[in-house]
Amino acid sequence: MLRSTLNRFFGMAVVMLLVMTIVFIIVRVTPGDPAAVMLGPDALPADIAALRERLGLNLPLFSQFIQYLTGLAHGDLGESIFLNIPVGEALLQRAEPTFFLTLMALTVATLLAIPVGILSAYYRNSWFDQLATAVSMFSASIPSFWLGLIFIQYFAVRLGWFDTSGYGGPDASFQERIAHLILPAASLGAVCSSLIMRFTRASMLDVLNDDYVRTARAKGMSECRVVVHHAFKNALIPVLTVIGLTAALLISGAIVTETVFGLPGVGSLTVSAVLRRDYPVIQGTLLVVSGLYVLMNFLIDMLYLVVDPRVRY
Amino acid sequence: MLAKLALLSLFITTSMSAVAAPTPMPEKGGVINVAIIGEPPTLDPMASTTDLVGTISQHIFETLYTFDARWQIVPLLADALPTISDEGKTYLIPLRKGVTFHDGSPMTAQDVVASLQRWESIASRGRQTATLITDISAPDENSVKITLKTPYAPLLALLSLNNSAAVILPQAEAKQNPLTTFTGTGPYQLKAHKPDQYIQLVRYDGYHGREGEPQGYGGARKQYLDEIRFVPVPDPNTRIEGAVSGQFSYVDSLPVESFNRIKSGKDRPVVLKPMGWPVFVMNTKQGVTANLKIRQAIQAALVPQDMLAAAFGSPEFFEVDGAMYPKGNIWHTEAGTEAYKPAGDMAKAQSLLREANYQGQTLRILTSRQYEFHYKMAQVAQAYLEAAGFKVKLDVQEWASLTQNRANPEKWDIYISHSPFLPDPSLSGVMSDTSPGWWTSDKKHAALTAFNSETDATKRVALWANVQTVINEEVPIYKVGNFNSLSAQAPVLQGVTPAPWPYFWNAWLAK
Repeated sequence: MLRSTLNRFFGMAVVMLLVMTIVFIIVRVTPGDPAAVMLGPDALPADIAALRERLGLNLPLFSQFIQYLTGLAHGDLGESIFLNIPVGEALLQRAEPTFFLTLMALTVATLLAIPVGILSAYYRNSWFDQLATAVSMFSASIPSFWLGLIFIQYFAVRLGWFDTSGYGGPDASFQERIAHLILPAASLGAVCSSLIMRFTRASMLDVLNDDYVRTARAKGMSECRVVVHHAFKNALIPVLTVIGLTAALLISGAIVTETVFGLPGVGSLTVSAVLRRDYPVIQGTLLVVSGLYVLMNFLIDMLYLVVDPRVRY
Repeated sequence: MLAKLALLSLFITTSMSAVAAPTPMPEKGGVINVAIIGEPPTLDPMASTTDLVGTISQHIFETLYTFDARWQIVPLLADALPTISDEGKTYLIPLRKGVTFHDGSPMTAQDVVASLQRWESIASRGRQTATLITDISAPDENSVKITLKTPYAPLLALLSLNNSAAVILPQAEAKQNPLTTFTGTGPYQLKAHKPDQYIQLVRYDGYHGREGEPQGYGGARKQYLDEIRFVPVPDPNTRIEGAVSGQFSYVDSLPVESFNRIKSGKDRPVVLKPMGWPVFVMNTKQGVTANLKIRQAIQAALVPQDMLAAAFGSPEFFEVDGAMYPKGNIWHTEAGTEAYKPAGDMAKAQSLLREANYQGQTLRILTSRQYEFHYKMAQVAQAYLEAAGFKVKLDVQEWASLTQNRANPEKWDIYISHSPFLPDPSLSGVMSDTSPGWWTSDKKHAALTAFNSETDATKRVALWANVQTVINEEVPIYKVGNFNSLSAQAPVLQGVTPAPWPYFWNAWLAK
């Protein structure tokens, strides 16, 4: 067990180092100059060169990478070129909307997907199953930003129930801020629900044919009790894995949704950092997001070890 | 008697209808949310030439001079226009008394000197001007003296502009780079800034503005609103929906094709006519467009009528116009515009190409989809240039890449940009020898030096005609036409004058 854990931990460190290096290189070889963006369209070439010098962008790529790694070793993600604050601080400032958006989207996705998945499996090949499959295929194919715009047009513009964008003004309470997440969470959750729904259906189909389910029925147990207490309980383990992976995907997948809804989260921070070529922020956000993803995978793997001692890595 | 009664009743009815629709009086109080196109790269107006920075920071910081409704220079923190002596080389600027910064400290001549020195060393336009300035000093407590090496008439326009701006800061803060505290003399002060969320400005109660009535950016700046909040909404579709739903009091920079949708929504559309001009900048330094005949062939081949129609759709949003400034502007002149043909002149283009001995080199047009109208114009231009005989390659890049690559003369022949109608023609990039495009010529220098050395406003207008003629002859740029911009404003928001850099002092909310 300890050996397996250490192996996985080592693998995780290697993946993170690779991610760091690849992101660093991609960011630097992409054309676009943060100094030129910052100084505006009429800036003099000499001014752009001077700002590049001040930001350390004229140093050789290797020196910049060593500087970056040294900073990371000290827990320093660097300083944002545009925001003039440490990247860690910028990420913490943006964590709240992303965290709650992910949580709410995951709740929406789970609440939609699990009952539909169970019913689809139970009424296999019925009109309900076919309809649910078609809807889930459709929702998996549509981009969340498109659904977001449809939601904005209907619920915010036509019905006036929500603001079209933003995260509330300076005096917004916590509840008001959360209210701004309802539409984005609904659009993101609806799109993500299809995967969970398909897994729930498949997993339920597996267990519904098992002997112990037949035995439970033979003992005269009600159908509801058979499905919920016996079948679903056992079908839940793979579903939980998918939910965990979806959560990790949502953290990175919220990027477009946050931009459409003008939410000041980690996703929109990444997009604006890319547009501004704010290298330290791009590196920092991608590192943290991929770190969370890798960590989530690690925890799931560890969970398997606990659940099934036969599993070895 | 009946006639008298009828007359009396008519009088009463007319009077009552007059009473029923009085001109609403401005009211104090309220908060407005202004949707802007994104997060500004900085709030330091000296550090950036970006319009967004100027739009926001002009509420916090002020310059010595500004522009009135007719784009004439008027004093703001200065008490009056300067006394110009020594054949245009010495500017003595009297300062207004009683002006205080947001921290309560009074504005002194030393603050002004330190701020102008910071502008010389930090701001792009200030650094350009610094080569002409020999000294900035304070001869007494209430005035500042600027001494130039040679007469330079655009100085006042440069001191008036709100981006790369010569704003006045407290002496101690003028040493900061980058600026970390934002203490100005403006009608509103910065209360909070949450990047990508909002920039919150509140009324500065100690504001000592000018007397009288508002005149464009000049005159009195009245502080009716309690707060102005700038909210970044980068997605244009979300900005449109925000305007339609009435979520914002003002929405900046909307795509013109959304006009009908905005019209049917809660905010009403505001068209600024004209807003600016799209421009094709030619690389005069090296490559195929370094050849004058080639540039003239391009000028003849392009069809601005079709390019503008493709870019802006309805003629409501553009005007075919070869003059650098539109009709009604003090700088408007038709001088040299004969070469600009609304429908192009294909025969002339082909003949010029033959004269240029064009060998089929690829004409690389650098453009971006960040501004969709740039891309649409590029597509139409490509079709006409190919019809004239050019081999054309569109190099479509993201805006950040374009701004970097245009600084390298090896990477492009034409790049597409746009500009508002700047208050003084000398502020335009093409006037600088070092701006991408790198246009230098004896004719340019002769016309521009005469224009920049003349301090008499009337004579400058006449001299500008010569500069415009040289631009049309040597074609360092191709001005496509004029375009209008679209914004949206809540019906309750009053007192906002459409402007290229919208401002909200003088604005108020009707009950």
